[in-house]
Amino acid sequence: MSTYMSSKMDAYDVRRKRPVKGKSGKSATHDSALQHVTGEAIYIDDMPVLPGTLHLAMGLSEKAHAKIKSMDLSAVKSAPGVRSVVTVDDVPGQVDIGPVFPGDVLFADDLVQYVGQPLFAVGADTFEQAKMAAKLAKVEYEELPAVLTIQEALKQAHFVRPTHEQNKGDYKAALENAPNTLSGDLYVKGQEHFYLEGQVSYVWPQEDGGMQVYTSSQHPTEVQKLIAEVLDLPINHVQVQVRRMGGGFGGKETQAAPFACMASLMAHMTGRPVKARIARQDDMVTTGKRHDFYNEFTVGYDDQGKLLGADIMVAGMAGYSPDLTDAIVDRAMFHSDNAYNFPAARVVGHRAKTHTVSNTAFRGFGGPQGVAISEYILDNVARAVGRDPLDVRLENLYKDGDVTHYGQTIEDYHMHELITQLADDCEYRKRREAITAFNTANKYKKRGMALTPVKFGNSFTVSHLNQAGALVNIYTDGSIHLNYGGTEMGQGLFTKVAQVVANEFQVDLDMVKVSATNTEKVPNTSPTAASSGTDLNGKAAQNACIKLKERLDDFGKRHYGATEVRFENNHVVLVGATQNHDGMEGDELWIGFGPYVEQAYMGRTSLSATGYYATPKIYYDRAKASGRPFFYYATGAACTEVEIDTLTGEYDMLRADILHDAGHSLNPAIDIGQIEGAYVQGMGWMTTEELNWDDKGRVISNGPATYKIPTAADMPNVFNTKLFNRKNAEETIYNSKAVGEPPLMHGISAWLALRDAAASVSDYKVNPPMNTPATPERVLDAVNYCKANS
Amino acid sequence: MIQFSLNGQTVQVTDIDPNMTILRYLRTVSMHSATKEGCAGGDCGACSILVAEEAQQGQLRFQAINACIALLGSLDGKTIFTVEALKVGDHLHPVQQAMVDYHGAQCGFCTPGIVASLAALYHNKGGAQATDEEIHEALSGNLCRCTGYRPIIDAAKAMNAYPAPSQDSPASSTGVVQFDPCAPNSLEQAAVSQAGKHLFIPETEGQLSQLLKDYPDATLWAGGTDLGLELTQQFKRFDVIISLHKLASLTKVTETDDDISFGAMVTYSDAEAHLAKQFPAFAQLIQRIAARQIRNLGTLGGNVANASPIGDTPPVFLALNARVELASINGKREVALDDFFKGYKVTDLQKGEYLRQIIVPKLTAQQSLHVFKVSKRKEDDISAVLAGVRIEHDGSNITDARIAFGGMAATPLRAVNTEKDLMGKPFELSSFEHAAEHIQNDYSPMKDVRATAEYRLNVASNLIIKTGLEIFEPESLTQGGHA
Repeated sequence: MSTYMSSKMDAYDVRRKRPVKGKSGKSATHDSALQHVTGEAIYIDDMPVLPGTLHLAMGLSEKAHAKIKSMDLSAVKSAPGVRSVVTVDDVPGQVDIGPVFPGDVLFADDLVQYVGQPLFAVGADTFEQAKMAAKLAKVEYEELPAVLTIQEALKQAHFVRPTHEQNKGDYKAALENAPNTLSGDLYVKGQEHFYLEGQVSYVWPQEDGGMQVYTSSQHPTEVQKLIAEVLDLPINHVQVQVRRMGGGFGGKETQAAPFACMASLMAHMTGRPVKARIARQDDMVTTGKRHDFYNEFTVGYDDQGKLLGADIMVAGMAGYSPDLTDAIVDRAMFHSDNAYNFPAARVVGHRAKTHTVSNTAFRGFGGPQGVAISEYILDNVARAVGRDPLDVRLENLYKDGDVTHYGQTIEDYHMHELITQLADDCEYRKRREAITAFNTANKYKKRGMALTPVKFGNSFTVSHLNQAGALVNIYTDGSIHLNYGGTEMGQGLFTKVAQVVANEFQVDLDMVKVSATNTEKVPNTSPTAASSGTDLNGKAAQNACIKLKERLDDFGKRHYGATEVRFENNHVVLVGATQNHDGMEGDELWIGFGPYVEQAYMGRTSLSATGYYATPKIYYDRAKASGRPFFYYATGAACTEVEIDTLTGEYDMLRADILHDAGHSLNPAIDIGQIEGAYVQGMGWMTTEELNWDDKGRVISNGPATYKIPTAADMPNVFNTKLFNRKNAEETIYNSKAVGEPPLMHGISAWLALRDAAASVSDYKVNPPMNTPATPERVLDAVNYCKANS
Repeated sequence: MIQFSLNGQTVQVTDIDPNMTILRYLRTVSMHSATKEGCAGGDCGACSILVAEEAQQGQLRFQAINACIALLGSLDGKTIFTVEALKVGDHLHPVQQAMVDYHGAQCGFCTPGIVASLAALYHNKGGAQATDEEIHEALSGNLCRCTGYRPIIDAAKAMNAYPAPSQDSPASSTGVVQFDPCAPNSLEQAAVSQAGKHLFIPETEGQLSQLLKDYPDATLWAGGTDLGLELTQQFKRFDVIISLHKLASLTKVTETDDDISFGAMVTYSDAEAHLAKQFPAFAQLIQRIAARQIRNLGTLGGNVANASPIGDTPPVFLALNARVELASINGKREVALDDFFKGYKVTDLQKGEYLRQIIVPKLTAQQSLHVFKVSKRKEDDISAVLAGVRIEHDGSNITDARIAFGGMAATPLRAVNTEKDLMGKPFELSSFEHAAEHIQNDYSPMKDVRATAEYRLNVASNLIIKTGLEIFEPESLTQGGHA
């Protein structure tokens, strides 16, 4: 389409004079924007279906914890359109598909451990036939006692992984000597990802027994490895491709693999292409969510609210298997201080095993649950000492040189300045007075406000994942092909990394094309997770570009006798070229990038390079519970004002202001899109999105009719987002900062604003308990608590 | 045969599953994959498409609907457009160009549905700037999990500033006018049949009555916004479906001095203007029932006949002392709504009978109507508690009170003890504050995914106080606005 190649239509003499288009730091549009708005973007379920394709549906466990006494699938097999039924007995290789630790099984064998656990898969000519057939299984269970809550798991010490503990100073002495202490608990519920595109994989069997796999996964390499293990194939027989996901949010980091494996198994059994598109309700029942956390705390503080010591326990609800829980609970522990210096602290993290779906990665990866406990504590302390929570927060911020409870030294920390700037910009003090006046004047409507910061550690806490590869090819017309292990799920990764490459060669952005992530192009990659996409892949791509530039530099010196070669305005500039050429400007020879590359090719120069990057400086000694797990911290703050109805608990989000630090932003529009989207997603997690389970362990919030993510009307009436434009002191790609996860925690300000409004009923004398999400029901409970206790 | 116009082309469908939805047809038969399946439950809007009707003066009126739960057969005689019809060559529709320029798409999966919803708004506004309320309303049924909506709303505010859509777009042309609806289907045979399943599309009530006599167990398909879920969530298949969408006599709204009557097939969207005139509080509730796409499909008759304890209109109709007219081949009868709901999803409708219209007494000068919906989310959510309250007074005392709640029992149910307490009491706030204490004697609600029993009781009681506040201290309830 002409729209894409417009800059190539410009002659080089035009491009010579104008700045390059879409370079790093500019708000280039998403690389698929046109395809998105026209519906031309192809998601896996939109791919043409090959003849003979089977559509897969699963039979699911109806019990939380039970032995399977018998499973009669004869009616499933004889249902209309059914061509294949696969069970655990058909797996030629490994049944365990646990991503890090064993425990996740592809199909239940004789034991089921959660309601919704896959028992078998059926393949039929149509999706509807498969779904109807799957209902016909007759399964007899022998029920076993089920652990369904974190509290019960704690009581039984029923864990998926060992408990971990971090210590700083003598927390006991600090608490004993503190003039004031307060204790409490906080239950933070999990969150359903609700990516708009459900889990889906389409597998084509190959002539050598291998599999070509199209999947909606954040981790193609893991899908590739697990399929190879399930089918007992060498990894090189499986090719996995991901062009784009219709949303991921962590829910497709490990959770895409089971369906790709099931489809591959069925393709292996039948020789047919198999599509596994998981119906929304099955998706919400069968796949893991953000972990529920049950937390307890005791903190010591002085009369001004200065923190003196803390004893914090966090317990994540792992579900039936480890999945990624170990790292998620670690991250909750790493973030239980959020922005604040606890002079002495103990943080204990448990991994509760429950007979529920295995919880998994979700944007923030345990960090938000850790930050929530910290902010709840700060709120409690502020009300206990009768000060504005903002002042208590400011007083307790880390300063450069402070050390966290896991041994990382705080550096380059601008939080005080950032919060002060936000408070000034959004007129926090003036509005606080206005809120007081409003609450005095209104009996039933009350307003509240909270300003909360976030300090989020960037790097995978599983250290080997902090590496990436990239492939850059230059073709003889100067167009560039870019590929890396990172996946596109809407976050604009493809755009930002393409901007890096365009910037390296100083060519227009539309000269760079990123193609689908493919395990044959860049192998052994890490998941696109932990906000690391741009940090890792941007650096790896830059590394490949540097290699290519060196070759192009060599060629210029060799072929043109140049003393210096530089890239500028879609041209290669040869300084001190020995011969006179067309295009000489003084002692500089300007050659269009395309023609120069073609010359380099004719001069036998390799125009393809791989790049590699491994994050420096990071380590964590688990035995000592100390180290530097994070390369750097991303920071930001948000202020939300709400109004509640004290008769029903209903509320309105009146205003939100965000100031967020994305370092030197590679693309401000995309970064602001991430920040706003994360805020609303975090606000949803803290307000209307409520996971509910019945007493048999069934998820009863199993569809969008019962699980309510924010709509456009839930967006704050006034919504301001700004970037705190500050160079990252660490050598990240162009000194930018990761922006995927950190701003999710801005949504915490919405929750605490609701609590602030409820507390106003007691003139802020009472700290109403407020577990999350703060649904209208919980807000009304908090109001009633304040009324009853003041 | 089913005949409809799709993106300017006339489509005739004969051999097809009568249970087929529009979305399944688009994605697996006609290969229009721009329209996505996000939830198959009418809740996310990724499947939004446009239905165009000729409004007055040759103008087209566009309605976004959820293709996922809409029956293909209910399209017979209609004109629809998918997102594929909006772009012509390189010329993007203004909605599309604005969405690109304002970074309105991230993962892109919800985007075609959002473009469809905003295109309906764009065309219905004739290219004029939409208000914030209109934009929110248009987007109420479109979930986006990536953007947080701000850039989408900015795009919607800006779209009218872009060059007009290509005149070659079927959506810009008079495609709907050129489309010649098919000849009426004869009733001797179904419009479509496959594998022993049949779909009938009657055009007169006489035909409907005869069909119901012949097929007393047939499934009546009005808006289908609840029935559609049985197809796409439970994977049920109906043997005989009668689609009511061509029964013009059931889409009428008529008025007498005392009553206003709504034909059973009047959609929420079409009812809104009539309700706004007679019962503004009811009209405001309509804006909070589901989302625009569902309100364009769902009907008042369907909501009442479905008899769900969490349907939003029945408590209000009960408070208004509405009656329903039921009809069959044997004639018509009227039943007070009080006597219509018999139990959980059970009504007084007999085999062979259909609900013809809902007859609602107008408010007298001494009466006022108060409606409150409480749910977790403001838009597109099922009520935890819904209250419909009609108060009558003589200036000094309360002379009548009709109070009905949804979400509090197995059926929409009157609060008889609370009503009794209000009767004859002084017409003042304290009467409501006292009466509120009686709610606990009227209901023993359930705990479910939406709320606990305690919350429901507490809120229901407080809504009686809110009724008093709405009458005596309305300023204390003014809500929202800017910080």
